[in-house]
Amino acid sequence: MALIETTGLTKHYGPVKALDQLDLMVEPGIIGLVGANGAGKSTLLKILLGLLSPTSGRATVLGMDTVRETRAIRQVVGYMPEHDCLPPDVGATDFVTHMARISGLPRTAARERTAEVLRHVGLYEERYRQIGGYSTGMKQRVKLAQALVHDPKVLLLDEPTNGLDPSGRDEMLDLIKRTGTDFGITVVVASHLLGEIEQVCGYLLAIDAGHLLQAAPISHFTQRTPVLAVEVEEGADRLAAALSSRGARARQDGNRVLVAIESDALYDSVRDLVADLALPLIRIQQERGRLEDLFRDAPTAGSLQ
Amino acid sequence: MTTQLAPETVPATQPASAPAIELLHAARWYGNVVAVNDISFSLGAGVTGLLGPNGAGKTTLLHMLAGFLAPSAGTVKVLGQSPHRNPSVYRQIGLVPEREAVYPFLTGRDYVKFNARLQGMRDPDGAARAAIARVGLEDAMDRAIGTYSKGMRQRVKVAGSLVHDPQVLLLDEPFNGMDPRQRIAMMDLLGDLAGAGRTILFSSHILEEVEQVGTEILVMVAGRLAASGDFRAIRALMTDRPHTVTVRSSDDRRLATTLMADPTVFAVELTPNGLSVQTAQLGAFRRILAGSSRSAGVRLLEVLSADESLESVFDYLVGR
Repeated sequence: MALIETTGLTKHYGPVKALDQLDLMVEPGIIGLVGANGAGKSTLLKILLGLLSPTSGRATVLGMDTVRETRAIRQVVGYMPEHDCLPPDVGATDFVTHMARISGLPRTAARERTAEVLRHVGLYEERYRQIGGYSTGMKQRVKLAQALVHDPKVLLLDEPTNGLDPSGRDEMLDLIKRTGTDFGITVVVASHLLGEIEQVCGYLLAIDAGHLLQAAPISHFTQRTPVLAVEVEEGADRLAAALSSRGARARQDGNRVLVAIESDALYDSVRDLVADLALPLIRIQQERGRLEDLFRDAPTAGSLQ
Repeated sequence: MTTQLAPETVPATQPASAPAIELLHAARWYGNVVAVNDISFSLGAGVTGLLGPNGAGKTTLLHMLAGFLAPSAGTVKVLGQSPHRNPSVYRQIGLVPEREAVYPFLTGRDYVKFNARLQGMRDPDGAARAAIARVGLEDAMDRAIGTYSKGMRQRVKVAGSLVHDPQVLLLDEPFNGMDPRQRIAMMDLLGDLAGAGRTILFSSHILEEVEQVGTEILVMVAGRLAASGDFRAIRALMTDRPHTVTVRSSDDRRLATTLMADPTVFAVELTPNGLSVQTAQLGAFRRILAGSSRSAGVRLLEVLSADESLESVFDYLVGR
């Protein structure tokens, strides 16, 4: 059974179609959800949480209907909102315990689970301090902790690294990865940062203008291409010319030479020519597809150009 | 911009033309909190990434350059003048603040037009229209900003800062909230402006993006300037950290023997992913690698320099 499934899911806000006949299926794993601003990501998350009803079509989470079985769904779904939503004047322990109690956990279990998840997200002695005095990174951890406290089967994270500096981002990404693997739960990460998605997710869902644009394993987008990139400190023009004169299809791109791999003998040509021309060799690497290309090839009216 | 690693040194040589931005021992403190501590650097035309952990003083630095704050010590000059309370310099500065606060009741067009009037432009309507076109917001320009998405709000702020075609553009986390396509377009826009001779300084936490926009960086750590210049040149100055080059070949063991005999190499490790070669003389090693492989009769399949990235340089400077 698919964890999350939508069929013909449509949501209109007046004349604006946020979702338009969206069909998708989410299998267990860590899933990246990308899309242009206004593509319908937030609307989709809100429908899955049962906060919004679709105009038409339906969505299910673990086989449960998001309209009729909202309460049952909330028991198995954890949600980390994007916006700042934490009360400033309570400590993390009190807040997360409160959220656990709201989810229906008995008092003792709520306390125990809170201690556990706060340790998991890396909040220790500071958990008794008021949240208002926390750094952005600490607040993000509290948001994640409250999403996890009732032991959900599906976790929905909306821009979990927003506002974090590079080390804060790395820690949060690592935490998301561990949460997915250690707890064995499905995590849906909505993000604009494709590099981040590539780092933690195994599967990508891209939506655009309310439709499904792409759904495939990340590896599908980052496959090796039959092109070899050779980067040199200088003399890329001479290397490209020499490769071409040997019959290779080569093209210079800045200080790189891109050359089609037609046979393994090409590797020897590259090595010999770099040696003959005495060029300082920086890199030899088979080119890979990039997630970014998904957005480069099809510019829409909403883009800057 | 001169490349420097030690925070204490003042740039030794100045470019022939006067730099657009110039700081000399600039500091700013708030009570006992030192936000910016004795910073000196200069920037000319081009695009520079301003990096640093949260709380490093990036926003304070941008605000001093924009004229909001006077330095507590030292001097800050933009186009040769102190920007603080100096409206004639404001005419040449565009600022995109980090805060999302934009009047929600104004339309995008009105917001940009008011900026044009604030800058005393003769044709505020035409200027506003042109700036909005630059960021691709024509379709939404007559809607209230309150109805905009985050990425659209960012773009209208950029349009507002560009409307008077400033010589110096300061942007605090401009990519925040933008989707992948908008990010790519914004990077292209910054590149175009830099190519047209503008001086652009932008702060960001997303190192991959900074690397895509350019190679010039300023790194701040705890209020001080940890490094400035081309990050590859900064990497070359980090002589206490050997360079690691990963090589995959048709016969790693044989290649290892040959490389070990070369004086530029001081360690070679066989790993499941190929050879990990350590060298203190990266330039010299790069010149001998292909020839050594040929004399060993080994085919080179992949050569990577893992620790030459901006991320690696940043990690070193921030000490994480």
